[in-house]
Amino acid sequence: MSLENKPVGRDAPPAHPPPTHLRVEGIQKRFGGVHALRSVDFEVARGEVMALVGDNGAGKSTLMKVLAGAYTADEGQFFLDGQPVTIGSPNDATDLGIQIVYQDLALCENLDVAANLSLGAELVKPGWGFLPHILQPLDELQMELKARKAIDRLEVRTLQSVRNKVGGLSGGQRQAIAIARAVGAESTVVMLDEPTAALGVAQTKQVLEVVKRLRETGHAVVYISHNMRDIFEVSDRICVLRHGGNVATYTTSETDPDKIVAAMTRGLDDGASRDDGANNAA
Amino acid sequence: MMGQVVMTGQTMQPEAQLSFLDRFRAMRETRFGAFVPVLLALAAIWAYFGLALPFYDLLSGEAESFRSIFLSPRNIYNLFMQSAVIATLAVGITIVLLLGDIDLSAAATAGVCAALLGVLVLAGVPGWLACVMVMAAGIVMGAAQGLLVAYVGIPSFVVTLAGLLGYQGLMQKILPTGNLNVGDEFVRGIARVLIPDLWGLAIGLICVAAFATLNLRKQAQRKARGLELDAPLALWGQVIVFSGLVITIILTLNAYRSLPLLLVLLVGITALLGWITTSTPFGRSLFAVGGNPESARRVGMKVKRIRVAAFGIVGLMAAIGGIFGASRFGSVSYTAFAGGSLLLEAIGAAVIGGTSLFGGRGSVWNAILGALVIGSLGNGLDLTGASAADKLMVSGAILLLAVAIDAVSRSGSNGGR
Repeated sequence: MSLENKPVGRDAPPAHPPPTHLRVEGIQKRFGGVHALRSVDFEVARGEVMALVGDNGAGKSTLMKVLAGAYTADEGQFFLDGQPVTIGSPNDATDLGIQIVYQDLALCENLDVAANLSLGAELVKPGWGFLPHILQPLDELQMELKARKAIDRLEVRTLQSVRNKVGGLSGGQRQAIAIARAVGAESTVVMLDEPTAALGVAQTKQVLEVVKRLRETGHAVVYISHNMRDIFEVSDRICVLRHGGNVATYTTSETDPDKIVAAMTRGLDDGASRDDGANNAA
Repeated sequence: MMGQVVMTGQTMQPEAQLSFLDRFRAMRETRFGAFVPVLLALAAIWAYFGLALPFYDLLSGEAESFRSIFLSPRNIYNLFMQSAVIATLAVGITIVLLLGDIDLSAAATAGVCAALLGVLVLAGVPGWLACVMVMAAGIVMGAAQGLLVAYVGIPSFVVTLAGLLGYQGLMQKILPTGNLNVGDEFVRGIARVLIPDLWGLAIGLICVAAFATLNLRKQAQRKARGLELDAPLALWGQVIVFSGLVITIILTLNAYRSLPLLLVLLVGITALLGWITTSTPFGRSLFAVGGNPESARRVGMKVKRIRVAAFGIVGLMAAIGGIFGASRFGSVSYTAFAGGSLLLEAIGAAVIGGTSLFGGRGSVWNAILGALVIGSLGNGLDLTGASAADKLMVSGAILLLAVAIDAVSRSGSNGGR
């Protein structure tokens, strides 16, 4: 798989790399005796797809959950557009515009698409301020419009109605809805955990198109995957983790899958050299 | 994915291959389709007791002429009143069933509240004040169990089983004799007051007008915003069926006595809860937690507080059921509430109505229809002179059938548990 054949995705890389949007430094996380993250640094810019790779147990998911506030880091600093911030809970992350699409998607199958897209951020009709927020009437029509807009933006053509129950949709449609929900929540950072793991060829292609659209719309995308082909198709940079620590961050156009695999499995000691676009070595 | 290119899976199956079961599942997913099974069950029971049996008697020469006791206005009136307490509890239980929890203590809570009400009015507390106090007690009793479920993490089945035993004991403590007459005018009035015929009809017409207006306005708003529209047939079908039911019921009740206040209160409370469960963020979160608790937690819903609130609502509905019962019987007895079959009938009513025991699907209106199914069975079997043993066995079979329908219509989705 040579770089010259790489078709879409990086055809028009930004002339100057955009400034870093979300940056974390020195993240430490322990689970009892297990040192899951050992002083990890990570960054992602707007309009960039940053792939996060590593073997099983390398700490990808842990890092992602720390960024999403699902886990609290034991140590470490967070910066958003250069400003120090704290992420201690999922709500903190949401307030900062960080959204995560979990592998299990976390959709409510008993609710329709529109309800799922607004879940936790339901719109209410104005003029009922005398009631507590949880008892104000829902503005279902507005939520449907919002859902239609989000779905149209991602070009989910097989979805006939946003009033369909999610339980009746295909795996690919569900993935699209989970991504649409993350994007719709005023987010600037979207993290995708193995979005193509359970999908066939055609559906995978569609998901990758969606990821590229996210980059075009100026989102900072963190893309976790094991699939080298997908990674080299959509990512701008690749951050390799191993045993809970950084190995290196590569510019995708200046490296190749063999080097990434070597870095994932053996680190930088042998095989992968540092001179091909790698920087920020641990 | 969202491909026009979906090649795999069942999605390519042509429409023509939809089996009857698929259609049935699809129908149950729609907003009013969920009512269809329970309405059919009700129609079947009424047709059997009201038409088939009298007709059979006529043919076999046992009866001189065709006379349907079951469908007489007097019996319908009694049927509604008999089912009212079950329905009140079933509506409450539906709320926790939506979360995927269960409340076994509802009937015992109702018993404690009714006993408390009797003791309070006996001690000279004004009726209305006693009712308010009892409702507060019900909320506390329910919410206490909710706290144990949500914050300590004990399964609701166990917590409320303990509550069932404990509250039964508490009721016996409050009523050492096991029986107490309630003579308070206010309390008795709830079941005794009848709405004058014309007023009852007016209330019914207002309900019909409101229902039609809301539906048509929603359709107009959808059109204005360019959203997909409901099929006109479904829209007008809903309005016509609803109007027909309401007017028929009120005219039937007027033909015997007239619309009782108790039923107006029950329908009003159910309408309020129905609105809360379907049209507010709180209700949406009930369904979300029942469908996927992890998802609800991740989007920032306060799952624990929602659980406590839901159990508080069951406690409140149980207290109201206790008040209704005390008002209707004019007395409070251990067997009428905690010690009797009320609990199982109420849970059965909720489930027969189509509320899933697995959480995330159901409606409070279905609970009322389910209570009518249970009440009609008991009433009809009583009229035919069936024994208590027959009643129990038939009720068991109907309940089993209802849960089987639930299980079959669930297994279509991937989340079939």
